[in-house]
Amino acid sequence: MDLLCLLSSLLISYLIFKIWKRIDCKRDQNCYILDYQCHKPSDDRMVSTQFSGEIILRNKHLRLNEYKFLLKAIVSSGIGEQTYAPRLFFEGREECPTQQDALSEMEEFYIDTIKKLLERNKLSPTDIDVLVVNVAMLNSAPSLSARIVNHYKMREDIKVFNLTAMGCSASVISVDIVKNIFKTYKNKLALVVTSESLSQNWYSGNNRSMILANCLFRSGGCAVLLTNKRSLSGKAMFKLKCLVRTHHGAREDSYNACVQKEDELGRVGIHLDKTLPKAATRAFVDNLKVITPKILPVTELFRFMLSLLLKKLRGNPSKGSTAVAQAAPKAGINFKTGIDHFCIHTGGKAVIDAIGYSLDLSEYDLEPARMTLHRFGNTSASSLWYVLGYMEAKKRLRRGDRVFMISFGAGFKCNSCVWEVVRDLNVGESLGNVWNHCIDQYPPQSIVNPFLEKYGWIREEDDHDTFKIREEAM
Amino acid sequence: MSQAPMPDFSSSVKLKYVKLGYQYLVNHFLSLLLIPIMAIIAVELLRMGPEEILNVWNSLHFDIVQVLCSSFLVIFISTVYFMSKPRTVYLVDYSCYKPPVTCRVPFATFMEHSRLILKDSPKSVEFQMRILERSGLGEETCLPPAIHYIPPTPTMDEARSEAQMVIFTAMDDLFKKTGLLPKDIDILIVNCSLFSPTPSLSAMVINKYKLRSNIKSFNLSGMGCSAGLISVDLARDLLQVHPNSNAVIVSTEIITPNYYKGNERAMLLPNCLFRMGSAAILMSNRRSDRWRAKYKLCHLVRTHRGADDKSYYCVYEQEDREGKIGINLSKDLMAIAGEALKANITTIGPLVLPASEQLLFLLSLIGRKIFNLKWKPYIPDFKLAFEHFCIHAGGRAVIDELQKNLQLSGEHVEASRMTLHRFGNTSSSSLWYELCYIESKGRMRRGDRVWQIAFGSGFKCNSAVWKCNRTIKTPKDGPWSDCIDRYPVFIPEVVKL
Repeated sequence: MDLLCLLSSLLISYLIFKIWKRIDCKRDQNCYILDYQCHKPSDDRMVSTQFSGEIILRNKHLRLNEYKFLLKAIVSSGIGEQTYAPRLFFEGREECPTQQDALSEMEEFYIDTIKKLLERNKLSPTDIDVLVVNVAMLNSAPSLSARIVNHYKMREDIKVFNLTAMGCSASVISVDIVKNIFKTYKNKLALVVTSESLSQNWYSGNNRSMILANCLFRSGGCAVLLTNKRSLSGKAMFKLKCLVRTHHGAREDSYNACVQKEDELGRVGIHLDKTLPKAATRAFVDNLKVITPKILPVTELFRFMLSLLLKKLRGNPSKGSTAVAQAAPKAGINFKTGIDHFCIHTGGKAVIDAIGYSLDLSEYDLEPARMTLHRFGNTSASSLWYVLGYMEAKKRLRRGDRVFMISFGAGFKCNSCVWEVVRDLNVGESLGNVWNHCIDQYPPQSIVNPFLEKYGWIREEDDHDTFKIREEAM
Repeated sequence: MSQAPMPDFSSSVKLKYVKLGYQYLVNHFLSLLLIPIMAIIAVELLRMGPEEILNVWNSLHFDIVQVLCSSFLVIFISTVYFMSKPRTVYLVDYSCYKPPVTCRVPFATFMEHSRLILKDSPKSVEFQMRILERSGLGEETCLPPAIHYIPPTPTMDEARSEAQMVIFTAMDDLFKKTGLLPKDIDILIVNCSLFSPTPSLSAMVINKYKLRSNIKSFNLSGMGCSAGLISVDLARDLLQVHPNSNAVIVSTEIITPNYYKGNERAMLLPNCLFRMGSAAILMSNRRSDRWRAKYKLCHLVRTHRGADDKSYYCVYEQEDREGKIGINLSKDLMAIAGEALKANITTIGPLVLPASEQLLFLLSLIGRKIFNLKWKPYIPDFKLAFEHFCIHAGGRAVIDELQKNLQLSGEHVEASRMTLHRFGNTSSSSLWYELCYIESKGRMRRGDRVWQIAFGSGFKCNSAVWKCNRTIKTPKDGPWSDCIDRYPVFIPEVVKL
């Protein structure tokens, strides 16, 4: 009798222990951002309007039509006077880059950011268990991840992943890899390094859809430290709530919206199709459909469903709204109920405007993205982290706030994730924030591009054959 | 011959038996221990006699509630235990790309093209010829169509079409073999070291097969010839997190954009060795796939020697003096590969070696390090742990070096050598061609363990251990189906050209 009691009690306690372990395991699977460091290139790499004009004029293949097109693009780009370009542009060598240029551009970036990041957090490179590097347009042997491991003498059993060609949404994909690894392995520290290599990707031809890419991208990068260690969860900044990836590669028009290819004369460039905005909108809508139920409170979802039902019952919508509705679909759902801050990929002014319109966001919400575009340009995958840095520098992030990150990429992908702020980030100084030196000047009074003033006369020029750049403009 | 020392021979035979006996003893230690215990219990029972046993039984007072509770608890706990075990990851099937006959590059073609393209540097042509003679490659390896032009036309379009040719053919074959529907793929990983256009190759696959929009796709690149196993590692980690999913891995190397057009010797080497090839692999963690899966993934160990400068610079992509880009292979590649392998073995050894070998290794380690005895380092006998070996067909020297280091016989490395001969160095997909060779020879039986070892730039050494799930019949179609009867061939040291 006693033996049986003893046995049963042993079994029950074992069962309780197992169940408690399963529940406890979940706490070890959270993905926290410990810290992040964006890269501010040195000031001798700043690209002013004057200098952009010079670079464009160096391309001997461009004619009046292309100048007009470029003027329109640059003026409406929302990019300011203080963005950065790779060093070889300043040496006039953008049309004949070497492998070494691309590698030194990357070296400058990762040596600076990773050093600052590790020093601030008092970690050594041998503490890192997972390294994910994503740089879309650079492919080298050994990979960039191997370069980083070599430079910092990281451990032999490190898990390394080197992603390329995944476009501007690759940051979120890297976080996805880290999130999945954290679910299986306990007590790990991960480093995500994201950047873009511009040195070897200057388009030297005159195909209009390809020169656009020249004007938009700028140098920048970010290193992010993530962990699932419970001991560090108190020091963490953000916790990942959910992550959704949408891939529209199956559709021909989405796939061909952004393609790297050769033009008629064999010069390589990235072709941005006119259907890009449509493809982006479609992917965005699909992504929202999946992530919205995960992040908004039930009350808001109910209200939205009711309003949809009522609209359907009422019949056709009023005529006035059709024109506006064609431009971008209004979500009709209030995202502010579940999200406090919006980190939008700074793909360009049009992207930010479109997202602002469809999510019904105010200028206050779009300010971080617009200012990042103005100050740093489109730094591709790392742009999200600059936007986050702006919010942090402006002391907007309080404990419990939710941040929504959304990015787009070639293929066509739309990836988004939601972070929850773990501790108050609006007190004290945010060390190492790349905005620290200039945050007080933002938002500036006006962000009109001086390009218009300097080169606006091109719009009046009509004669293609005898068109020559006026000496005083150079 | 007559001076062959007879006593040594017989003593070594005796030693062999001693070693066998020792291995048997240590490996079956627990079961050997169990036998005397059971014997004692049996003797006790017999001594007690049937009436006493019945008395003990009756005195236990079985209450129906208690019986039900305890049996319920036992069942519940065993369910919880089984559910919390890490999910087993299976390799359902894989298919390798067989290049068309029109892409073949026999030695004569290669040398003729080489003479025409490098007509200004006869020394480089001479060098390439010497490499080809000693390379271990055969006459049926293939290069992509763009490289057959004189001079080669490595445009981005050509590279894309090579990618489409190799990847789509392999994937079509995989779909046919497994009956998988494209829309059922949950995870897609593509690894190609030296070509990554925008949109990525993974996006290209998603576009061609109209895969789902919530697919998890990853495009790994720059990771060298070991990237295949890195993709398997990533797939395994993802399959642990997502229940009831499958993952498709595409491993390839696109040769078109990476043909070296200069005449720096160390950089001409890859031109002679790398050939066209690709493999598509289906992995799954679904229970329903357990019966038809070919292999089960047991272990995967990754070793990264990037921290050591010499290892890091041994496979390096750089521009030569004329600005032409190519891959520089350093002269100490073999030594570095050996070291990386040693590091990898130290981690994988304890996971796979039987207890007897581990004990011996431990004893020899203690003897050497602590007591400073002058023993030779004991190399564990990996032949006890594995039945088949798939060594990355990086080049003849790599295979020779590994054969020596691991003390493998000719039959063990046969798959690697024959793959190098028939297909050349197809980079990350070579391991799958080798596995296919072993299957085509009908050597793969249920329960066999396979060890795949791959090296990559950086310097990485990754190894995977698979266990065969079911005896595999010789495949009727596949890259080896038309030529398996001719293999194995004898590959001479030098093929005179």
